[in-house]
This record gives sequence, C-alpha cells and structure tokens, in this order.
Amino acid sequence: MSEGNSEAVGEFLQGEKEPASSWIILALGLVTALSLLVLHSILYPGRELPVISEILPVFEGVFDSGIWFFILGVMLGAFAIIATMLTEATSE
Amino acid sequence: MDDVLTSMAVFWALMLLTYFLMQNGLSIFNDVAKSMGMFMLEKALGPGIDLVEGRPGSASKAWIMQGLLWLLAASTLTFEGLWMMHDPLALHSLSAWGYSPTSGSLLYAGNYAVLYGGIGMLLIGAGLHILPRLARTELASEKNAALVSFLWTISVLVLVIGAHDSEVLGINIIFMGTVMHVVAFLAIITNQLLTVSKRQGALAIPGWLIIFGLLADPVATVAIFVSGSVETGVGQWLLGHMVGGTFFFASAAGIALYASSSSTGNPLWSKSLAAAVLVGSIATINPMGEIDGRMAADMLGLNFGELHVTSEDNLVAAFLMALATIPIMALAANVLITLRGGDAFVENADSAGIPELNLGASMLLPLAIGSLFIQSDAFAATPEFSGLAGTLMLMGIWLILVPFSLGAALHLFPTVTGRHLLSRNRARWAFWMMAGGAFLGLTVTMMADMIDMALIEATVEDPSSLSGDLRVVGAVLFYGTAVGAVMHSLNAVSGLFRGARVDSVRDTSSSISPESYSLASPTSVRRILAGGANLDTTVVPVGESDDAGSATEL
Repeated sequence: MSEGNSEAVGEFLQGEKEPASSWIILALGLVTALSLLVLHSILYPGRELPVISEILPVFEGVFDSGIWFFILGVMLGAFAIIATMLTEATSE
Repeated sequence: MDDVLTSMAVFWALMLLTYFLMQNGLSIFNDVAKSMGMFMLEKALGPGIDLVEGRPGSASKAWIMQGLLWLLAASTLTFEGLWMMHDPLALHSLSAWGYSPTSGSLLYAGNYAVLYGGIGMLLIGAGLHILPRLARTELASEKNAALVSFLWTISVLVLVIGAHDSEVLGINIIFMGTVMHVVAFLAIITNQLLTVSKRQGALAIPGWLIIFGLLADPVATVAIFVSGSVETGVGQWLLGHMVGGTFFFASAAGIALYASSSSTGNPLWSKSLAAAVLVGSIATINPMGEIDGRMAADMLGLNFGELHVTSEDNLVAAFLMALATIPIMALAANVLITLRGGDAFVENADSAGIPELNLGASMLLPLAIGSLFIQSDAFAATPEFSGLAGTLMLMGIWLILVPFSLGAALHLFPTVTGRHLLSRNRARWAFWMMAGGAFLGLTVTMMADMIDMALIEATVEDPSSLSGDLRVVGAVLFYGTAVGAVMHSLNAVSGLFRGARVDSVRDTSSSISPESYSLASPTSVRRILAGGANLDTTVVPVGESDDAGSATEL
C-alpha cells in the first residue's frame, strides 16, 4: 500500500446515501426495548420500573386530558419547524 | 337616527375622495408628499432600516413566511377553543402558571391570530408582490415593508394576549396592540400608495382591489367616528363588517383573481365581473363575520355596545347585505371559470395553491347565503340562530379567507423566493389536511350547535352527551388544520433553502409525455397540451372518411 493511500484511510468519511434498510435496525431496537420492558414486568411482577416510575408521577394532574396528546403533537410540529430552520440555515 | 346609512354614506364619500386623489394626485403638494413619504419609510427610521435586506421580493417573503407560522398558532388556539367547549377544565393544570384560558378566550384569540396574523400577513405579503407587478414598477421601499412585518407580528402577539385578558397592570392590552397594528398598517399603505403613484399605465382591477382593500380599513374607521355611531352596537357591528368586506374580502378577491390567472395561464374570464367585485365590496355590507361588534369595540378601546337595531337600520343593513351577493357571486364565478379556462388546465391542476383557490371560490356562495340568514336573524328582537353564528364565522375564515390567502401565497412562493416549495406532494397532503379538517371539523361542530339550540328551545336543562361527543369529534377533526399548517410551514421553510430553483427545469408530477398525439378532429392547442403533450410531441393528423368501418388487417 502506498503512503498516500494510508493517509486517505485515516480520514473520517461521512456516507451521503442513506441505505433503504437502515430503518429496520431502528425498528428492531425499539421492539427489543419494549420487549425488555415487558420482560421486566414478568420477571419482577409488582415492581415498578426504576427512574421512569419516579418521573411519571410528576406529570399527574398535568396531562389529565386527551387534549394534551394533540398539544404535544403541535409542539412537535413547532419544534420540527424551528429545527428545520436551524438545520437548513446552517447546512452547507 | 339611521346609523347604518349615515355611516355608509360617509364611507362612500371618503372612498370616492380617496379614488379621486389617487387618480389626480395632490396638485402642487405631490412631490413634497412623495418625498416626505419616502423619508418616513426609510431615512426617518435611522439605522433601524438596515436591520433588514432590501432585495426584491424580500418583503413579500418575510410577510408570507410569518403568515404561514401564524396559521399554525391560529389553528392550535381554535382547536383548543373547540375542544374546551365540551371539556372546560382540559387545561386547568396551566392555572398553576397563572394561565386559565376558557373556550371563549381561546376562540377569540384564535380569531385575532388567524385574521391579522395568518390571513392578514398572507394578504399583505401577496399584495406587496402583485401590486408592483401590475403597476409595472418596483415596490417603493422593500426594506421598510420587510421591517414592518416584524412590528405587525408583535402587534398580533399583543392582540392574542389581550384576547385572553384585555387589561394587564391597568393597561388596555388590545388597544396597545391596535396602536402598533395601525403604525404597521399605515407604513404598508404609504408604501403601496407610493408604488401605485409610479405606475406605468393603467392598473388592472386586481390591483385596485388590493389598494382599496388596504385603504378602506382606516377609511371605514374614520367614517364610523365621523358619523358618530362608534359608541353604538350598530356602529361597532358595521365597522367589523366594513373592514371584513374590504380589507379581508376585497384584498382576498384581488389576490385570488390575480393568482387564478397567473397560475393557470388563462386570462381573467370577465373584466366586468371583476369590476362588480370592486364596486360591490365597497358599496355593500358583507354578511360574513360576527353578529356583534365586539372585536371592533375591543380594538378601539371602547365599551362594547349591545346591538339595538332600529327598523330603518334593519332595512338598510338587510338590503345592503343582500346586495353583497352580487360581488360574492361575481368573484366565485370569475375565479372558478378562470381556473378552468376555456376547456382545461394547461398547468398541472395539482400545483400548490390552486386547490386552495378552488376551495375558497367554491365555498363562497353557500357560506355567504348562510351568513346572510344568520345576520338577518341577529337583528330580530329574539334571535333564533345566534347559536350557529360563531361556527359559521369560523367556516368563513377557514374555508374562504384562509384558502384564498394561502393559495395565492403558495402560488407566488416560487416567484417571490426564487425557489419552488420543497415538495408538491407534501403541499397536496397539507391541503387535504387543512381543507378536510376545517370542513369536517366545523360541520360536526355546527351539528353540535344545532343540538344545543334544539335543547334550549325545548327547555331541556340537562346537557346532551351527544352534543358533547360531537364537539370532541369536531375538535379532533379540526386538528387536521394544525397538521396541515405544520406541513405547509415545513414545506416552505425547506423550500427556501433546498427547493428547486425557478430557473431550473423541474419535473412535473405527471409522467405522461406522449411522443405522438393523434389528431382525429380539429381542436385547440390548449386541449392538446392539456392532454399531456409537450413541445416535442409530434402531432399526427389521422385521416377521416365516411366509409363504413371494417376489421383491422393484422
């Protein structure tokens, strides 16, 4: 291998083309995470999830109406617009 | 005293005077007024004017983008208001932060957001592009118009806050918002008047509609003050409808007529009908809007006057509202037929903006007639349909004014920004979400209104669960407008940066591009193009004969 080639190997290369099947990895990861949560409830019946069970009560009495699901959707949309503005403006 | 006729007479006289001055100028004061106007728009603002760029189209772009974002806020507020009609405690947890909205306050705030934020900004943004083009000149001050858009946005924000609580620390918030709104409005009017004064030739009717729409707003307010009816309920109601019929309706008509022609390549179908819209929007009272003058009273910082209508006022108002059917029908017919042309679309019918224009024009007549009945009923001693008024007004806003202003803005987007929207497909989805959400959501809400009215008439005290369920369904369906607004905003924001350049060749959504077109009978070039042919398609004349047909030889 020539000296020039070894320099090229040392550089970081960012792939521009997203493979069509990459979402399968994400879906598998999500399913595995949910399965582990279910497994936790089977292995330790009656015991609440660590951390999550302590955070959720904070929101009791806040998100007590179905309207909040819709408001969360709007907030996601608004954040998506802001994020798009920032990323589009700062991209090459 | 006949408040309606007196106020309308003063309004007509002032509008005629305005038209005369626009045509003939200010005599020896002409140059001084123009120089002073330009000075006020740019130099008088000092270094502040350099905060924005003055490239051609930058003002229009700023107004349109902010208008799109306001549509999201408006649809969210209206959705919450519709939801809380059934579930008043849905947002009670926010009271811990000092925010306790009610259904009424949210709908009221939503009306300010959509009328002045969404529709108003889109109308002005489109007007800033269209009027200079029709006048064959450039906008007098691109920088000032861009800068003023931010003042307008702040004023709408103040109005939305004021709609929840009109007094904060003893200050009338809505009136403060109005003052800021008036400053921004005067700057835009001055800018557009200076632009029109430089026109190279006669101004087309859509241009007159846009400039009269702008001018009639302050002129109507002055007319109501001059006639002395501003403190009365009738005067406040009339002011709301005069502004609705001119700034909103006439401006929307102007940009819709322009966009319907420029988006399809078809010439405007009828000049006479366009003129009827222009005259009719000023000479009549538009029936679409509130059944009281609360918004006008609040914006002017006045006490809200109850609507006590004398028989003379009733007669004049009913007559002028019935006459408004003429400009409304004229606009609907002109837009719809211009969009369709003599036979078919030349451009793709799914181009962004065209479906919205089509929807707005289609909904004009049925909603105007419905509003006419509701408004006439509101003048009676014991109104029977007032329970439907709020929903019908929302329908007028979301199914006529929003589609017209949004459709024109989406159509103008490539010309204004130099880039197309990111995705035509996403624009089509957003249209269906917004149109379907508004139409279905508000129709179901109106059904709930009718149930409530029937129960009140039957003096049933227990609220109906069916009405409540319908209201929830109506609100959930209306949520589609918020989703559509998000999609439109994302499409526009991404389009600003990554949309195909206007000067580059862009693929259409149709893959049909025949190499040859068999011409069996005489037809127009338009029909051939509409059939999917392009400039490289070979037109092959097919021989015709009157001989009897026979089997094809293989």
